[in-house]
Amino acid sequence: MSSVSQELKDTSVASSKWLDAHYDPVANLYTFSSCIALSDLHGDGENKLVAGDLGTGVCNMKLKVYHGTGLLSESTLLDLPTGMVSFLMDLHEPRTPAIAVASGPFIYVYKNLRPYFKFTLPSLEVNPLEQDVWSQAKEDMIDPMTLKEMLEGLRDKAEIPLSVRSLRFLMLEPQEMEDFVLLHKEQPIRRQTVITCIGTLKKNMADEDAVSCLVIGTENGDVYILDPEAFTILYKMSLPSTPNLMDVTGQFDVEFRITVACRNGNIYILRRDSPKPKYCIELSSHPVGLVRMGKNVVVGCSHETLHGYTQKGKKLWTAYLPAPVTTMALMDLPTRGFQAVLVGLANCEVHMYRDKNLVSTIKTPDVVTSICFGRYGREDGTLIMTTKGGGLIVKILKRTAVFEDRDSAPGPPIAQSIRLNVPKKTKLYVDQTLRERENAVAMHRAFQMDLSRLRLAAARAYVKALESSLTPMSASLTEPLKMNAVVQGLGPSFKLTLNIQNTAACRPVMNLAISFLYDENLYSMRTAFFKIPLLVPGLNYPIDTFVECLSDKGISDIIKVFVLREGKSAPLLTAHINMPVSEGLALN
Amino acid sequence: MKTDVQLPAATDLKKPRPKKAPELPILERRNWLIHLHYIRKDYETCKAIIKEQLHETQGMCEYAVYVQALIMRLEGKIQQSLELFQSCAILNPKSSDNLKQVARSLFLLGKHKAAIEVYNEAARLNQKDWEISHNLGVCYIYTKDFRSAEEQLNLALQLNKHDLTYMMLGKIHLLQGDTEKAIDVYKSAVEYVSIHNLTFKHTCFILYTMLLGKYQKAFEHLGNALTYDPNNFKAILAAGSMMQTHGDYDVAMNKYRVAAYSVPESPPLWNNIGMCFFGKKKYVAAISCLKRANYLSPFDWKILYNLGLVHLTMQQYASAFHFLSAAINLRPRMSELYMLLAVALTNLDDADNARRSYEQAVQLDESNLLVNLNFAVFLYNQGDKKAALLQFQEMERKVNTQVDSNINTEFDPELVEMAQKLGAALQAGENLYWSKPGKDSKSSQRSSSSKPSSSQQPLGTNQALGQAMSSAAGYSKSMQITAGAEPLSPSTSCHLHRSVHPNLQSQIFRCLFEWCIILM
Repeated sequence: MSSVSQELKDTSVASSKWLDAHYDPVANLYTFSSCIALSDLHGDGENKLVAGDLGTGVCNMKLKVYHGTGLLSESTLLDLPTGMVSFLMDLHEPRTPAIAVASGPFIYVYKNLRPYFKFTLPSLEVNPLEQDVWSQAKEDMIDPMTLKEMLEGLRDKAEIPLSVRSLRFLMLEPQEMEDFVLLHKEQPIRRQTVITCIGTLKKNMADEDAVSCLVIGTENGDVYILDPEAFTILYKMSLPSTPNLMDVTGQFDVEFRITVACRNGNIYILRRDSPKPKYCIELSSHPVGLVRMGKNVVVGCSHETLHGYTQKGKKLWTAYLPAPVTTMALMDLPTRGFQAVLVGLANCEVHMYRDKNLVSTIKTPDVVTSICFGRYGREDGTLIMTTKGGGLIVKILKRTAVFEDRDSAPGPPIAQSIRLNVPKKTKLYVDQTLRERENAVAMHRAFQMDLSRLRLAAARAYVKALESSLTPMSASLTEPLKMNAVVQGLGPSFKLTLNIQNTAACRPVMNLAISFLYDENLYSMRTAFFKIPLLVPGLNYPIDTFVECLSDKGISDIIKVFVLREGKSAPLLTAHINMPVSEGLALN
Repeated sequence: MKTDVQLPAATDLKKPRPKKAPELPILERRNWLIHLHYIRKDYETCKAIIKEQLHETQGMCEYAVYVQALIMRLEGKIQQSLELFQSCAILNPKSSDNLKQVARSLFLLGKHKAAIEVYNEAARLNQKDWEISHNLGVCYIYTKDFRSAEEQLNLALQLNKHDLTYMMLGKIHLLQGDTEKAIDVYKSAVEYVSIHNLTFKHTCFILYTMLLGKYQKAFEHLGNALTYDPNNFKAILAAGSMMQTHGDYDVAMNKYRVAAYSVPESPPLWNNIGMCFFGKKKYVAAISCLKRANYLSPFDWKILYNLGLVHLTMQQYASAFHFLSAAINLRPRMSELYMLLAVALTNLDDADNARRSYEQAVQLDESNLLVNLNFAVFLYNQGDKKAALLQFQEMERKVNTQVDSNINTEFDPELVEMAQKLGAALQAGENLYWSKPGKDSKSSQRSSSSKPSSSQQPLGTNQALGQAMSSAAGYSKSMQITAGAEPLSPSTSCHLHRSVHPNLQSQIFRCLFEWCIILM
């Protein structure tokens, strides 16, 4: 109840903080926070929204540019965009930023929305043995089968993994190998990796419009820093795992710090002076979002937690979230000196945190998959979100909005004042209590007496059942049998199914017979006596027989079933079947 | 998502010349996308992408198989996921990650020995992995090889000081009954674990202090833990039950209200609330709450015990009899239960069975004075002075051993009074501890018992007890001493303490056992 009221308050407050500028539920945008940027593409002082759209995830990838509420331009991308950044690559006037789209092993650089440059990741070292084998194949010294065997041998032992070509070759059927070798043998072997994340780093000045280097992380755990103009590799660092999220701060020529969240659940902090990670933060679950706030790093984890760390990897705080994190972004309002972390959650909410305190909550119509906060058009405080269903939401922060930095735990919890739901007792209960007080001894004795009687009755019934073999399990040790009976049908004819099972460990039971006893005026059976086949232990033998009800007076009776052994008069098992009343009339 | 396979557009970029070989797609090209969806818990999309990726690479993409296996494990298909992890390990035999996951699946399937083997293999590939050592330790715990478990966990601690490892190590020592070592572990945990993990730190500290018997300190830390996380159910319950033992019923109730809001169906919580009402002499409410607790957890003997006690107080002896006998059925080796049953039977005019029950209680009892005292009173009332004297002397012996070994030097005033009365009636008891006036002054010191579960654990002052007891004592007014004709009340209220206290413990230890590792 308390949380509900608090939520209500929050939403009302939040709705007053944001203006709903635009909402297009069918914008058809499939993108992530890493593929979305706000940039003054034309140098006219109006920021556009640039989004790398993953299309269907297979095809139809697009680079979309939005201006105002409309789509400004759309250009086809060649492969899935992994990340996208906007950066200034030179000092030429007018200062229009370029867009770098990372996809696969390439970075496509666009200027003025036109393709400008394509950077390809340096290829990885190829196994020399593999190279050897292929060069032999090229000179037709070995046939495809030998090639296959040699490559398989290499795959299992080699330190350096095989190239795609060899792996693909190994997957082929023998008849396809010949063509494959012919087609590919002339090409040099290459082993390529792909880009997994991209960021920017100021080259030598801290200004807003300074020239920036590109920082890229690759699938095999390398981090490269590229020169902004020549696109040469300025610096290379390596990580123990594949980078996943990246945050870069500082200047390349002075000092920088790259915080990288990796697929193995660790966060590594790289510094200018060493090609290996300087600090390592081991998280207990995968990082989903990584945002730097001032000197601290805020990490959202897949276990519904938000952690704050110093830039040296010391943990500062933990906040628990109500739902899994989908994405995170920084909300920075330098004009007001306000910074917060926006956390998109799977329960259709966006939470705003300042340190560990929840400052505000925004409800969204769908799960948010990417968040971007910044200047859009001419409006500084714009929040752009895309949703799982492909929607685009644009909200503008009201100039009057104030975020109070209230502590998350002020005073005692509200639940403390809620009355305990103690079950009430009736007057009858109190009366009975009084009666028990007065007559406890008599009640106790009566109870003990009845209990003894009950036990006696139960024991008698048990003995009787044992004597007449009425239990569902036979008591004899030589023929341990289990039987149950099922009656099916509405009448006048019923189907009687007896399920008989031999529960012995390994011995079969033979020479058994079944006989029925019933009122012949009421029922007729085709065979009231038959033999049962040999019973293999453990198997269930369903035995069907049909019963015809002769009476139309709506009366029913008991049919007794006896399981007999040849040469013994006492039955092994007895079952009394309470027949249902026949609902249909006999035809004859 | 459509599944038609398109070669990456990179190939379309250049005009396809007939002789030119098509560029082959990189196997790992969609790993990032799979990972992105996986960590966002968008498993449906993730599975679609994986399916497509595996189709494209004909099952050669290691990471796709790996994530598929992880998702399957989350869906409960452990066996299938194990097979997938094994195929990952074939695709890349050098990766310790794959082996770790194989081992983890084996662990989840309960094949601890096989898991240990695979973990050892993984450890050969990656020597310095905290996770491997820790999980190996946990596997060894399940195979009851505590020595190896300890070794591995210590190794894990050398690599990285994780909270989980401390908890498991402490648990091993507790399982082995080695309290000293457990205390050491918790102590070092308190020292090493960085300030951030306050709840963990407090848990450790509380366990540490409780094991030392320093309840006051433990309580302070519980209070601290509650300021950081005022809605922590376990901390509330622990703190509340401590307040309750000190007679702070209203404050405890305040805490319980918070807990009842977040976890409304907790049997221990309703038990403690019921005993709070009992302490405040609201017996009907107490019975209501205890019955709810009993409804929620019908096989908890502590709740039945308390129900029996409250019904005795309400003079509903017939009901009390049923609750107590149910409790005895669940816990047949506890002397106090037999004693309470005997009290109920005495009031139900069943002297023979009462005597038998007392005899059982005395036989099972080790240190509880009340059992002997109540039995003595009962025998005295039955006119069997000789046997009564014997029980009285047995009680004297227990008092003296307790005083001598310094376990307990403070006795409940009502118990003392009763003992003195009975002593006077039996012309015995002059040499009892409390009849010697000089010693009382120094008896205020309280030494800590090494066994936290000892029934005579002093928990603060006994005043709260006294209050509750005087109410509990009311039921015996019908019992008359034949000679003196003055009512003697066999005091049973000490059980209020016990009845609350074990819950506290079980709560604290429960959080210990709930720790488990989920690392991917």
